[in-house]
Amino acid sequence: MTKTTFNIAWQVLLLWLVFRLGTFLVALLHLSLPGNVAGMLIMFALLASGAVKPSLVEEGGGFLLKHFAFFFIPISVGLMTFGDLMRQSGAALLFVLTVSALVGVAATGISVKLLQGSSSR
Amino acid sequence: MSLLLSVSLILLTLAAYLATRRIFLAYRHPLLNPVFLSTVTIIALLKLTGYTWGDYQPAKEVMTFLLGPATVALALPLYHNRLLLRRHAPAVLAGVAAGSLTTMTAALVAGRLLSLNDTLLLSLGPKSVTVPIAVEISRLCGGEAPLTAAFVVATGMLGSILGPGTLTLLKVKHPMARGLALGTVSHGQGTAVALMESETAGAMGGVAMALAAVFTALIAPYYLPLFLH
Repeated sequence: MTKTTFNIAWQVLLLWLVFRLGTFLVALLHLSLPGNVAGMLIMFALLASGAVKPSLVEEGGGFLLKHFAFFFIPISVGLMTFGDLMRQSGAALLFVLTVSALVGVAATGISVKLLQGSSSR
Repeated sequence: MSLLLSVSLILLTLAAYLATRRIFLAYRHPLLNPVFLSTVTIIALLKLTGYTWGDYQPAKEVMTFLLGPATVALALPLYHNRLLLRRHAPAVLAGVAAGSLTTMTAALVAGRLLSLNDTLLLSLGPKSVTVPIAVEISRLCGGEAPLTAAFVVATGMLGSILGPGTLTLLKVKHPMARGLALGTVSHGQGTAVALMESETAGAMGGVAMALAAVFTALIAPYYLPLFLH
């Protein structure tokens, strides 16, 4: 139990360092890419190249991914400042979000289905 | 006093999350989405007790501190599925790119037609990407981060509820295609629904979520301005 907690803690710290490295490189190179995406790509490169073994970040990473939804809660509480906007444009926004979600799901699903059939099987 | 308040608000958020997570895991209904239920509960409690977003914000900063490393951790599902990915690379890449581009275009075109203002359009653009990345893209492009976060959450819910039925209607049966579609449009929440369909669909959802994030982050700064007034 305590060993697991300890592992999670230092592995999260390791992931945090990769995140900071991503943020730092994006600022240094003036990339229009979020620092966290850069961090994710760096982490993937480290894993794919074999420089970092997955077991080194598996426990901490698994813990963060399992509770990924938690982080969205405090952010979406920020919705409370948009009461007026929702009263004004709520219906229009709901329409826009619904239509674009349906179109996106259909486009992805159909194109994967077609390409998957025509290429490798 | 404000420290005590922040600690209380963090505990409240944790309690709301753990309770709604249990409810969701017990019934697995898309409408019982933990993010949605917790948010509604917390806003209602804050409103009832007369607290504002300003009171909640310090607690929010503490709680979202690990969002960066959590996003970095998305490299893990990407790594674990690298073989399946390599085998179907063209279909996966084209599918995620097509989905990201169409969902973004549809939102911007529909938003323009309904005469939404530029701030709203910029905030809508990255809404199919997982929150931490969508918020960063929105900031880079000149949108409102909290608005984008709200749109992301709403998109996650809408896609999770309407997505599986739409795919069935279109006769998209393969778990890979279904997972990719749900993850591309509805990020983490879509991935959760895909995971309930099958393990392959779930893994592909995670992959799609990561790829859609990278793709959208790369093109949004150039693509979104084309739709502004």
